[in-house]
Amino acid sequence: MSVAPLLDEVLRALLKRHLTDAEAYVKRGRSRRLERTAVTESSSNSQERAWAVRAGNRRGSFFAAATGDPAPAGPWPEPVAGNALELPEPQPVPAWSTPSDFDTPLIGEREGLKLLESLGRELEAELPRARVLRAVLEDGSSESELANSRGLRARTRNRIATLYIEAAGPGSPAPTASLYVAAREPHHFHPTALARRLADRLAVSASGAPPERDTGDCLLAPVIVARLLAGLLPLLVGPGPGSRLTGARGRFGSDRVTLIDNGRLPGGAFESPVDGEGVPTREVVLVEEGLFRQPLLAWWQESAAHGEPSGCTRRAGWRDQPAPGPTHLYLKPEPRTSVSALLGAVAQGYYLIDVTGPGRFDLAADRFALPVCGFAVQSGRASAPVAGAWLCGGIGAFLKGIVGVGRDLTFHPLDGMIGSPSVLAAGLELRAGPG
Amino acid sequence: MPFSKLDTPAVARTLSQIAEQPDDVVDAFFERREEVELAPEGEPGGLRVWREEGFAVRLSREGRTWLASRDEVEAKPFAEALRQVARAFSSASYPEPSLEVAPTGPVAAPELPEFPAALSRAVRAHHVGFPLRIALRRHRRWVQVVGPRLVPGPETETFYSCAAESSWGRYGVLLPRLDAGAAEEIAAAVVALFRARQAPPPLPFRGAAVLGPSAVAVLLHEAVAHALEADTLAQGGNPESAVGVAMAAACLDVLDDPAAAPEGVRRATDDEGAVVVRRWLLRGGIVEQPLADALWARTSPVLMPGAGRRGTRHLPPGPRSSHLEILPGEASEADLLAGSEEGLFLPEASRGALDPLSGQFALHFPYARRFRRGALAETVGPCVLRGRVADLLTRVVAVSSEARPAGAGWCAKGGQKLPVWATAPALRLEGVEIS
Repeated sequence: MSVAPLLDEVLRALLKRHLTDAEAYVKRGRSRRLERTAVTESSSNSQERAWAVRAGNRRGSFFAAATGDPAPAGPWPEPVAGNALELPEPQPVPAWSTPSDFDTPLIGEREGLKLLESLGRELEAELPRARVLRAVLEDGSSESELANSRGLRARTRNRIATLYIEAAGPGSPAPTASLYVAAREPHHFHPTALARRLADRLAVSASGAPPERDTGDCLLAPVIVARLLAGLLPLLVGPGPGSRLTGARGRFGSDRVTLIDNGRLPGGAFESPVDGEGVPTREVVLVEEGLFRQPLLAWWQESAAHGEPSGCTRRAGWRDQPAPGPTHLYLKPEPRTSVSALLGAVAQGYYLIDVTGPGRFDLAADRFALPVCGFAVQSGRASAPVAGAWLCGGIGAFLKGIVGVGRDLTFHPLDGMIGSPSVLAAGLELRAGPG
Repeated sequence: MPFSKLDTPAVARTLSQIAEQPDDVVDAFFERREEVELAPEGEPGGLRVWREEGFAVRLSREGRTWLASRDEVEAKPFAEALRQVARAFSSASYPEPSLEVAPTGPVAAPELPEFPAALSRAVRAHHVGFPLRIALRRHRRWVQVVGPRLVPGPETETFYSCAAESSWGRYGVLLPRLDAGAAEEIAAAVVALFRARQAPPPLPFRGAAVLGPSAVAVLLHEAVAHALEADTLAQGGNPESAVGVAMAAACLDVLDDPAAAPEGVRRATDDEGAVVVRRWLLRGGIVEQPLADALWARTSPVLMPGAGRRGTRHLPPGPRSSHLEILPGEASEADLLAGSEEGLFLPEASRGALDPLSGQFALHFPYARRFRRGALAETVGPCVLRGRVADLLTRVVAVSSEARPAGAGWCAKGGQKLPVWATAPALRLEGVEIS
């Protein structure tokens, strides 16, 4: 049921208080959270109902948010002087139909716990004596509605499920690994594939060692490239910084690099026709065949940099202030290239399968270091496990050294959903430490 | 007090209907929160206010927990939540107890706008001046727990969080009050970061280290408090088997005492309504009483409840520390810095991390000072203290005779963000590795 009349009433009440710029936002949500550890099991069922209001005039502004429904009469905080509040004008929203899976009910308790149980079984089948330490499945859906004093009105729906798993391998000290994945629905989580990924990492961590210092072609699994792209976000979001990595001819990466952000990506975890301020979302090509086209720009950054703005203001929840950021940012896959073809092209190098901890990014010095694990590769075949290693290099050199892109596009919940296929990169270094 | 009109006997009677077995843990947790933030300079939303209230109903039985939470305090949703957690007769309709709560009043936080100027004055008193970006927030929370047999008194908490960012680093702290002492504490920390801005990091080093009270609080929060939480201990086996283990040097006495926390955050009962205890985590370096909540206390007569905490009503409680107290020893400052060898004085830790399975521990410092022959010498840049908990804690050789409130900060284990407080003296460790 629409709460538009209530939002309008709130806007009118704020206008009476001479708050000429105002936005009212209401969110209703429900979620189920299931958690299993070695000795405990819990099932939570939550319902959220809350609102947020931003309001101001030339003299000051405030942000107020609370559970329940907004009362037009307040109490409202007194505006405090500061930067003025800016709100978007209404824009036509291209046609969009609500995906059918938005209507599917949340996962049931038994079904969810069964999924978590099967993860443990599959893991042990993949790697005997490996065990899941903690697994958390969250499934939620929500509806939001907003109205602002410029006449903008928007309604959105969301549906997302996340799964977090911590596992330990055999041996003492036991190697550990964790995974965090997101999808629109829990049915997209495949226990066998997830268990295999964890088992690979645990097995490699238990038996692998880092090379002292080595270079060679590196085949990087999607999760590694996604983490690298997440580290590059300061260069891709907002006016100005993107040009830092472009060469004399505007080259940002090799001609295999096409970076896209798309808030209405079909099937995407955050697929929506409008962003957190009600501005229409669309596909934005940030880098095309290695050439930097434009950064990701919110409507209010339009004149600050070359490029077309898009609806890219995210609003994670009612407690959060809207802020620009990627929704589904991804490296465009090459549909004709399989991962095995990329692996076959590695004469001597590495196939790095996962990230094992937080990375270090020094964008000013054009350097990164990311802890990784995987395999040494000779003539397209794995020759030895590699663990405790750091993938190091220049950020510009990494992007320009991409020589092959696979077709296995996978998204990861990082800063928004960041996606990538497997990538074959030259010129990177593998070390025993971050350097 | 928002919950003074809550009909707690009626809630208790209703809860007793779902507690069917003698060992069932059943409770209703009502909370109201208010956060008021002064927006950092340059950001819109001069004053930001978040207000929320709601409840959670929980049933725990034989290691399994069912929880239902809502963002409102009303009779009908309460009865609905009861139905969701009840294991038998879940289709039954439960009585709807009267849940009247006091309305929220107008927002007033006059102390917030005044503090940035007080902080600037305190920085200038150190004869330096530089731009500082301050995020300042007041946190208030009211809690009422109701069990089927016990209705403890309501609890309230009020404290402040402040993050001061400059070009040379960020300093974040929790404060029980905003006064001149708080301004000076933050000023001294940001001035120290400024003065250490060009100091080179130390070369890898093994030797003596003196940790200031703030760094000790972070070290012992990670290495003792987290390590002795019943759920963490359960990852490696039976939690009660930790009791009696010599975990640290004999000079180390560590307690968790929520009733001795700073005024404003002091607690008589925990978030499950159990009376808090002055809990000796380590007595003479030996584990005496791990941190346990009601659920873990049911698993062993050795474990005592009273340390159940909830970051939010939407998640089940868990065993966590509130206010760590490290008892002072007999060493003077001169004793701590004495000896012919050179060492490092580490006044502030920026963060710490413990891998509960391997026991590997890392404590990060933004800067340090060398000491030699009993006197502090030049400043060095960022460094990390690493080791295994069991080894590191046995390397404590002296405890300062002066303990002070220090090291208050946020802890976010398992996604539940909680404030933690500490009273600690300085410590000297021998033979530790710093890189």
